[in-house]
Amino acid sequence: MLIKYWPTETKIPFMRYRYVGVVLSVIMMVASVYLVMTRGLNLGVDFAGGSVVELRQTDSVTVADVRDRIPGGLTVNSATDSNGAELVVIRFGEVDASLLGPEFAELTDEEKADRASAASNTFVVNTLKQEFGLTDQDILRNDSVGPKVSGELFREGLIALGVATIMMFLYIAFRYSWSYAVGGIAALIHDAIGTIGLFSLLQIQFDLTTIAALLTIIGYSVNDSVVVFDRIREIRRKYKQMPATEVIDIATNQTLSRTFLTGGTTLIAILAIAIFGGPVLQGMSVAMIWGIIIGTYSSIYFAAAIVLMLGVDINRKPVEDTPGFEAMP
Amino acid sequence: MLQFPAWKVLLVLGVLVWGVVMALPNAVNMSNAPGFMPKQAVNLGLDLRGGVYLEMEIPPAEVISSRLSVFARDVRSAFARTADREPIYFQPELRGRTMLIKLSRPDADGNYPVEEALRRLDRINGPIEGGLAGGKTFEITRAGQDGILVSVSSASESAMLEDALSKTMTIVRRRVDPEGVAEISLTPSGNNRIVLEAPGEPDPERLKTLLSRDGRMTFNLVESSPAEIASAQAGIVKPGYRLLEGPETGPLLVREIPEVVGSDIATASQGNDEANRPQINFRLNANGARKFYETTRNNSGQLFAIVLDDVIMSAPRINEPIPGGSVRITGTFTMTEAQDLAAIIAAGEMPAKVQFLDQRVVSSTLGEDSIESGYRAAIVGLALVAFFMILAYGLQGIFAVFSLVANIVLIFAALSLLGATLTLPGIAGIILTIGMAVDANVLVFERIREEQQNGRSVWTAVQAGYERALITILDANITTLFAAVILYSLGSGPVKGFAVTLALGIITSVFTAFVFTRMLTIFWMKTFKTKRFAI
Repeated sequence: MLIKYWPTETKIPFMRYRYVGVVLSVIMMVASVYLVMTRGLNLGVDFAGGSVVELRQTDSVTVADVRDRIPGGLTVNSATDSNGAELVVIRFGEVDASLLGPEFAELTDEEKADRASAASNTFVVNTLKQEFGLTDQDILRNDSVGPKVSGELFREGLIALGVATIMMFLYIAFRYSWSYAVGGIAALIHDAIGTIGLFSLLQIQFDLTTIAALLTIIGYSVNDSVVVFDRIREIRRKYKQMPATEVIDIATNQTLSRTFLTGGTTLIAILAIAIFGGPVLQGMSVAMIWGIIIGTYSSIYFAAAIVLMLGVDINRKPVEDTPGFEAMP
Repeated sequence: MLQFPAWKVLLVLGVLVWGVVMALPNAVNMSNAPGFMPKQAVNLGLDLRGGVYLEMEIPPAEVISSRLSVFARDVRSAFARTADREPIYFQPELRGRTMLIKLSRPDADGNYPVEEALRRLDRINGPIEGGLAGGKTFEITRAGQDGILVSVSSASESAMLEDALSKTMTIVRRRVDPEGVAEISLTPSGNNRIVLEAPGEPDPERLKTLLSRDGRMTFNLVESSPAEIASAQAGIVKPGYRLLEGPETGPLLVREIPEVVGSDIATASQGNDEANRPQINFRLNANGARKFYETTRNNSGQLFAIVLDDVIMSAPRINEPIPGGSVRITGTFTMTEAQDLAAIIAAGEMPAKVQFLDQRVVSSTLGEDSIESGYRAAIVGLALVAFFMILAYGLQGIFAVFSLVANIVLIFAALSLLGATLTLPGIAGIILTIGMAVDANVLVFERIREEQQNGRSVWTAVQAGYERALITILDANITTLFAAVILYSLGSGPVKGFAVTLALGIITSVFTAFVFTRMLTIFWMKTFKTKRFAI
């Protein structure tokens, strides 16, 4: 090792403070749930439905101009792209049916519900083109998600989260034991709730990309927990008489430098996305940075603490007779 | 564990060379390379190259009601007078998914000929298309003393939807891409949705206009008496006729039953007339040509309307019988409109009007910006992680960096091999892999360090390091792989793109970190007789 930025042998009595950790975690989860219930989530068009149109800001097309000259109750904001250029970001749901022309007024309510968002999008884009003389190339991005799809996307996202969680639970329960699976999944839920809480607190846009970020955090969290679990099991096998608290402390200390190195390199890579990846990936990377920090914390203070409460021993067979736990040749 | 026989070394090197060759087109322009080298770079998603994404739905209710109205036409001819049968008079009423046929003329005793009507209907009620069980298309039951209810069974409904989906797919492709040259992709989604991806297309409105037409083309004879038109405009339409309008012809009364229909058209294309104005050329098939000839022969002097989706496109006067089945429409359309109309007519009639649910458009300028920022983020991320690893582990860190680079190369090679699409979230997945891929190396190196501290020799330390870390690495990576696979199978759009690179990255990183790095380490130890690694 060229630089000793971490003492090689740490002896931090992690488990002595486990109740502090569990209380902190519970407070954070309760706060997150409270935030989501009171402040809500800033749902993007993927989940809320509606449209978003992005233009490059120029002297003749500014946020104020668009606000003034395009009717229909639009939310117009500015943003910066990865090259520092200013963008006009227009977000809207359905514009007033009277703006959409007489044919639209004749439709039934059901047809309106199906077509209103697409028709509103066409109206706004056409008005933009007329008012500011824009071409298709000037409209950088134009997404329009109807109410039917947005609801489905949200449901599918939640199902993906749920199924991934169940699969990981089963895998850990199969490879270790149910107490480890409970610990790992508790940590995973802890991280997911904490990250959603951050989304609510900072009002970061919650869209499909965010679901990807959440799943990454979940993957990372379990990955991190499993590394600690693996060490716990190994030490347990070596020292059968050692108290469980001590087993976990040793395991955590021994994996600590790995935990920080891997966490560090992953954080560096995500910081690069946050800084250089442009606005599309910004929300995702902020969430991932936070997720990796609490994921690292939770694998010690939540996952390991729960395993300690439920028992560190692998159930079913006595450890020494169990084949398959030896290192592979 | 520490033995690397020659064949293993060759295998590992072979995989890496294959990776470099496959990934090469992404880094340099390969168009002039010799024939055996791959030339195709990884597919870029719409968010990276610009284009239109459209998700459309074929409303089941409309598929059914349009099938019912087609059935109503069949009923009309089944109930018509023939040599040995009396006509049955009726009024069809479409009510969403059912149709009520009300018989409108009782016999002398006041009875309606329901039994006779049911017999005739049974004859025209065919089996479910593509159905194996052999059920009938429609369920026909008696409703009161003068009515018959026609409905659709659920088996028949799903057959109709399946049929409508595949027909619509074909028609969408033929309308958007009549020459079959564009790189559009069409994917069915669920049982009544289609996703259209058109890279490079900047204008979603043009696509939507092309696809929202029914494409119902008919040739109808015209009643041109001004008195009849005036009375139709006043609300009294002559029976058997309909009042339609056209931008050039104004209101005209056309015969309800067309002489020639869309299915009689073989091809349609855009051409130019003598004055070099755009026109649409048709060729009718044999059956259509015969009907067209008969109609023009028997109706000299009359107007013959060409109607698309209930709009009269033109109504030329029949001067002489036209054999051969070649027809043209001239009108006030632009070249693009003529092209699009020709594509619509040639593609045929949609089984039902599609509804647009989800539309995403990215301009090519934004796409280029995104590639650039993703590329920049990857380079910076890679450089920082490399710096960090070398700082932490010295020589072993350099090995880890080699394996990291090999990992990225292999991800691109695997993307090419699978024909997967790289998206912006996919680039994020690669960058994340850069961060996480070193985990396996870190686990191994930490073990080696521990073993060396416990006084083991370098060979046993390295051996123990790799052996003991393997299970941890596999457990940790398999759980993440689960997440990635589930993301891929359940996710859509950006989630899928992210999942692909993440999953590939996990698989390749185990190979590069565990096999390639180990090979480098052992090679180094053998060559330089290393006594102790400074890690």
